[in-house]
Amino acid sequence: MIHVQHLSKVYEDLQRGRFVAVDGVSFSVGAGEIFGLLGPNGAGKTTVLRMLSTVLEPTEGIATVAGYDVVRDAAEVRRSIGFVSNNTAIYDRMTAWEMVEYFGRLHGMANDELHDRLSNLFEQLRMNDFRDVPGGKMSTGMKQKVSIARAMIHDPPVLVFDEATLGLDVLVARNLLAVIRTLREAGKCLVFSTHIMSEVERLCDRIAIMYRGEILDSGTLEELRARHREDDFEELFFGLLNHHEQELIAKRGGESEVLV
Amino acid sequence: MSEYSKQIRRDAASAGKPRWSAIWLIYVREMKDQLRDRRTLFTIAVLPMLLYPLVGMLLLQIAQFTRQNETTVCIIGHENLPESPPLLVKSEDETRFSSDFGESAESLAVVTHAWDDLGGATEARENAEKWIRSGKFDVVVLAPESFKEAGGKIRGALPEGNASLPNLELMFNVGSDESVVTRGRMSALLTSWRANWINSRLTGVGIDPARLIPFEWTEKNVAPERTREAAFWSKLLPFIMLVWAMTGAFYPAIDLVAGEKERGTLETLLCSPALRSEIVWGKLATVTTFSMSTALLNAGSMLITSTLVFQHLNVGGGIGSVGSPPLVPMLWLLVALVPLSCLFSALALAVAAMARSSKEGQYYLMPLMMVTLPLVMLPMLPGTKLGIGTSLIPVTGMFLLARSLVEGQFGLALSFTPVVFLVTGGCLWFAARWARRQFENESVLFGSGDQWELGMWVRHLWRDRQTAATPAQAYGCGALILVSLFFARLTITEIPDSFSGIAKLVMMPQVLIVFPALAMATMFTTSVRQSLRLRMPHWTTLPIGLLFALAMHPTYVMLSKLVSGLYPISEQAALAMKPFSDQIAAAPWSSTLLLMAVLPAVCEEIAFRGFIFGGLVRDRGRVRAVLVTALMFGISHGVLQQSICASIMGVVLGWITLRTGSLLPCIIIHLTNNALSVSLSRISSSSWEGARLFLTETDAGPAYQPLWTLVGLAIAGTCLLYFGTIDSPIDESESPIASHHGDYTDPTKSLASAS
Repeated sequence: MIHVQHLSKVYEDLQRGRFVAVDGVSFSVGAGEIFGLLGPNGAGKTTVLRMLSTVLEPTEGIATVAGYDVVRDAAEVRRSIGFVSNNTAIYDRMTAWEMVEYFGRLHGMANDELHDRLSNLFEQLRMNDFRDVPGGKMSTGMKQKVSIARAMIHDPPVLVFDEATLGLDVLVARNLLAVIRTLREAGKCLVFSTHIMSEVERLCDRIAIMYRGEILDSGTLEELRARHREDDFEELFFGLLNHHEQELIAKRGGESEVLV
Repeated sequence: MSEYSKQIRRDAASAGKPRWSAIWLIYVREMKDQLRDRRTLFTIAVLPMLLYPLVGMLLLQIAQFTRQNETTVCIIGHENLPESPPLLVKSEDETRFSSDFGESAESLAVVTHAWDDLGGATEARENAEKWIRSGKFDVVVLAPESFKEAGGKIRGALPEGNASLPNLELMFNVGSDESVVTRGRMSALLTSWRANWINSRLTGVGIDPARLIPFEWTEKNVAPERTREAAFWSKLLPFIMLVWAMTGAFYPAIDLVAGEKERGTLETLLCSPALRSEIVWGKLATVTTFSMSTALLNAGSMLITSTLVFQHLNVGGGIGSVGSPPLVPMLWLLVALVPLSCLFSALALAVAAMARSSKEGQYYLMPLMMVTLPLVMLPMLPGTKLGIGTSLIPVTGMFLLARSLVEGQFGLALSFTPVVFLVTGGCLWFAARWARRQFENESVLFGSGDQWELGMWVRHLWRDRQTAATPAQAYGCGALILVSLFFARLTITEIPDSFSGIAKLVMMPQVLIVFPALAMATMFTTSVRQSLRLRMPHWTTLPIGLLFALAMHPTYVMLSKLVSGLYPISEQAALAMKPFSDQIAAAPWSSTLLLMAVLPAVCEEIAFRGFIFGGLVRDRGRVRAVLVTALMFGISHGVLQQSICASIMGVVLGWITLRTGSLLPCIIIHLTNNALSVSLSRISSSSWEGARLFLTETDAGPAYQPLWTLVGLAIAGTCLLYFGTIDSPIDESESPIASHHGDYTDPTKSLASAS
């Protein structure tokens, strides 16, 4: 469903000059699979996912979503993807129902179809209690549910969750993970980015570890453990990061303290 | 990104046509959203409804105050005033002015003092000044001892120079409004007292004063009734309306773009299936709606309130420049409101898109207001009328058109309608295009909130040098050139009368033009040759450029004549330029050519079609590059008539350099054109027989044969067609991002933040 090849993104930045946010990243995700993108803040996860959702243009490389190229068929890609991110807020002066309905209409859904889908979604996500509450008065958990409903309204084959559990309390985060699991059972293709290791361990079928714009390694949890001979996932993660730092320093030939 | 993938993206962007249904959806949502915001509702609907009635009420009260408020006059030396005709009437408890003087007497209270009560002349004067300054009395009138003489017999002959006429002294204080008002009332009163006095003297010697009046006159206002009523309002109301249209566009624009960025809802919308163009059109429609309704509500509320106020005050009426406003003709203002609201909204939206937060948006919109406001103020200046010159000015032309419609001058309005709508339409197109571009630009939508710091910026300029200038550097260079030229021109006080002086005068601006471009090309780019666009084009373009310039020159001469006809050069300016042209004509041909043709062609082309063009053409800026360089090139010429011609030529030259990808054809064309301009009279007076084919002698000097002008235009057109067929070279400066790793900064520097 998602194929990414040598995707790069370079920013012009006053402080750092030409800054490579994403550097030649490649991965694929199939239907009925949860792909985890794990990395510290600033690793480039959000940039990758923004390129997948066609909000940003890749500087180099190819990415296709559900068979559509993110550059050439941007509109089709947006039709087949649901994007939830902590950057995609909801409108303060719209109720939950209006908000989700609005995006359904933007997807060109017919009235009957839209209302059936809305009732189902509100039922499924247990949102009927606050369907007439305006966004400005919602709690973080409610807002997140509205965002998820907004992303799912057109029943897209691909769903992307970018740091979706950030700032949620334990209970709501747990619910979210449960929703994502049911989506996998429904055969959706799911990408889940986070910097929390336990979430990845519990949820994801395959994992890519991202750091400084590069994917250091990817595979199933078992594959990663076997390859690096390390059972503790946290140790494995920091080991990879540390190794990468060492390589960079060796490449530069300079002496710089290792901070990881 | 490679040129190919850019092309793909461009095609993809233009492939999706905006759908009306999606635009409508976005529009409805944005409208609902804004209407649910109490602040918006307050500024747009509630404020105007309350503001004008409140102001009207205040006005009524002030009017009552100015009519009823009594001010006080102190008269020192009342014992010197004559009994007849009476100025003052003394009753038991108070002294007042005689009621013969009507209204002004009623509004003035009087206090009288005798000179002796105040202890002599010097002290009395000091006191009088003190009283006025402290506001105890508003005006003091001093009647000296000598005033008694005025009451005597009619004088035999006038004394020399009126010097010894009996004199009253009136003291007032210009710093106090009451004092100024009282002075007006008091002098009206004194005038009418004097008239009474003269009348009674005349009657005393047996002459009927009425028989002395030689003539009367009557006044009649022949303006059509509508113009008469509208005269004041047709000036004020469009101004009020446009200022509100601007203000009404600003706040929604900030909220709809910068505000949504801040709240994070813009990204939600961007990853929905709505196309960028649909989002822009939907938002633009919303902003325009608010801009128009703000303007309409304010203008309407003001109209209604002022109608009521003027009816109540009962002023104006038949004569009036100020009267109650005519309501129906004001509907013509809608003709101007609709396009100008759209224009302001598109501009506001494009500017607001640059801001990352609402607060930042407000900073950005203030300069926009400063730029637009003069265009709205200009028509308010006395004597500004709808004409070919004013109709070409954006906003101002539309304003004047609406005004003449309100005043009922339909013929005048109709004749300028095409021009005004063409100009407005053009501006609108550019503004809308700019707004759409902003929404397609990810550095505008997702720009990081970098802290700006001088040192960092200088380092960035040096470290991130590219092969050609960036658009920002190009704008900077243009601004630098124009500002330095402006100040340099201020230093020129008179035209020197020697050739070397003239040479210096011509060379100075050229140095100012070429120096910034060369300096910036050396410092801020990695390749001087590329940043100045010094490439060898296909060899045929050079002779064809020469042919084009030769064939185009008659048309250029005609164009300058046309422009001088439209905006005539003042005689004074023409006279001031005389020594200049005389010197040029007298100088040796070779030095004239060097000074007037070679030098400007090289310097101006390097700066405008070279460095600045190279910077602006990047990032899909072809139209921008051609138009902006033409405009800068025009402004750099200083004299308005020259500027207009140069701007038009600048567009042609810009297009040619765009097609050929090189500066050289432009240098050749520019050089040939200037050389012909300074050599025409020499060619026609030369012994060369062929000159008669092209030139004729007229009273105003040599002119082209009309036939040659036509043939030349045809040849020039063919040359342009040829330039059009050249494959516009892919500008290597267009891909600004390096694709090899060596260029990247070392990521380990930001290690601490990553872990």
